[in-house]
Amino acid sequence: MTGPVVHDVHSLPADDNVNPYAFSVDLDGRWFLQKGKMIAYYGQIDFHGIGHGRLDRLIAGSFHSPLHAADWVVAEGRGKMLLADRSFDVNSYDLDEGNLTIRSGNVLAFQPSLSLKQSIIPGFLTLIGTGKFVAASNGPVVFVEPPIRVDPQALVGWADCPSPCHHYDHRYLRGFLGGLRAHTGFGGVSGEEHQFEFTGAGTVLLQSTERIVPELATGALPEEDGIPGDGGHVPQSGSQLPQLPGNLRGLQRRFGL
Amino acid sequence: MPFTALNSRMVEATIAPGQRMFSQRGAMLAYRGEVRFTPNVQGGQGGVGSMIGRRIAGEATPLMTVEVPQGLDDQGGTPTATVMFGHGGHHVHVVDLTGETLYVEADRLLAFDGSLSQGTMFMGSQGGVMGMVRGQVTGQGLFTTTLQGHGSVAVMAHGGVIELPITPQRPVHVDPQAYVAHRGEVRNRLSAALGWREMIGRGSGEAFQLELSGQGTVYVQASEEKL
Repeated sequence: MTGPVVHDVHSLPADDNVNPYAFSVDLDGRWFLQKGKMIAYYGQIDFHGIGHGRLDRLIAGSFHSPLHAADWVVAEGRGKMLLADRSFDVNSYDLDEGNLTIRSGNVLAFQPSLSLKQSIIPGFLTLIGTGKFVAASNGPVVFVEPPIRVDPQALVGWADCPSPCHHYDHRYLRGFLGGLRAHTGFGGVSGEEHQFEFTGAGTVLLQSTERIVPELATGALPEEDGIPGDGGHVPQSGSQLPQLPGNLRGLQRRFGL
Repeated sequence: MPFTALNSRMVEATIAPGQRMFSQRGAMLAYRGEVRFTPNVQGGQGGVGSMIGRRIAGEATPLMTVEVPQGLDDQGGTPTATVMFGHGGHHVHVVDLTGETLYVEADRLLAFDGSLSQGTMFMGSQGGVMGMVRGQVTGQGLFTTTLQGHGSVAVMAHGGVIELPITPQRPVHVDPQAYVAHRGEVRNRLSAALGWREMIGRGSGEAFQLELSGQGTVYVQASEEKL
């Protein structure tokens, strides 16, 4: 039996997993990361909110999601940064002139050489370009190739797939018995009447359970013992201020309010 | 054997046309081919009588039938289908049965072969009143599910599963909360080590243990948390 491994700044892996639940970034420059996912760091690292002057050009180049702007920060500097998320399994993925669409709550961090865009499918983000990103999943990730049908909750994301679409089990939903089931509830549901169907070439990422990684209210301190500051009174991100009407609301988001 | 472990929390099952299996409702994660999922009102095999038995016994976990219809070859369907199962982030352990009986709680069943015959056992039939007390302590209740025959069972557990062999010379003592399932010709007995310390609230926290003796295997999870 080996004892606990003690890491220092040199022994921490560079851009690799420390264990299944923590990832170490060898930072020399900038990374985007979702608020609250950094657990520790060595070195000189500054964290800037998105939407603040100096980083404008970077953000124009690689961040195209005003909806999520309030949830992200830019880490800038040199050092080793550890990322983790509620002891979910963490993995890094390399994209080479590729694209990958992933559930927005699952992304922890990405290199600015990638560009982040909102997917046209609600709740998903698309990363395009070349670079590395880190994502969490509830249980280890399994890569599968289409054609496949996937439980909506087990889906983490997909790469290079042309046609994510819905699939309904009509044989079950239709007909006399189906109607009877729908109206009376008698007979129960299998819970598998609806799947996401993927066809064509590409890769589909599955997590090992049908429990989604819940999106955390970022920027809020958890209401717990041992956390200085009045944790309970920080409102959820995006609702700190009364919402301005019309186009001004976009402006608010733009400034990360 | 039809189950392949993909990782610690996920199994893949291969189903040939005309075959079927049972799984916990909503535990399918993905599938390839033409697979039909039907909710199983009866909660498993047997007729209406078995269903009523299970309802009374509280062993009626919502199950669904997973089957691949026969005769899809001429319609261009894939001959065999694969289905991936996983549930709630729990660890999954595959048990291959070759004629023995597996005793397991119904809500720990992730999926099992349709070739296995399913039954319900009254705890009192193994050790009378003490058996019923044992059922209460382990959280099994008064009844438990049995699976018998040739086939595979995917069992869920909180934390990883450890297999402990039981031989006539070496009985195994198990914490009731960590007990998952057992198989073979096994007699189990609840041994209580209650003393004056327990009475004044200074117990070791290990007052009750399950003693399993005979010939077989007991499955223990690496946690004292129930599912």
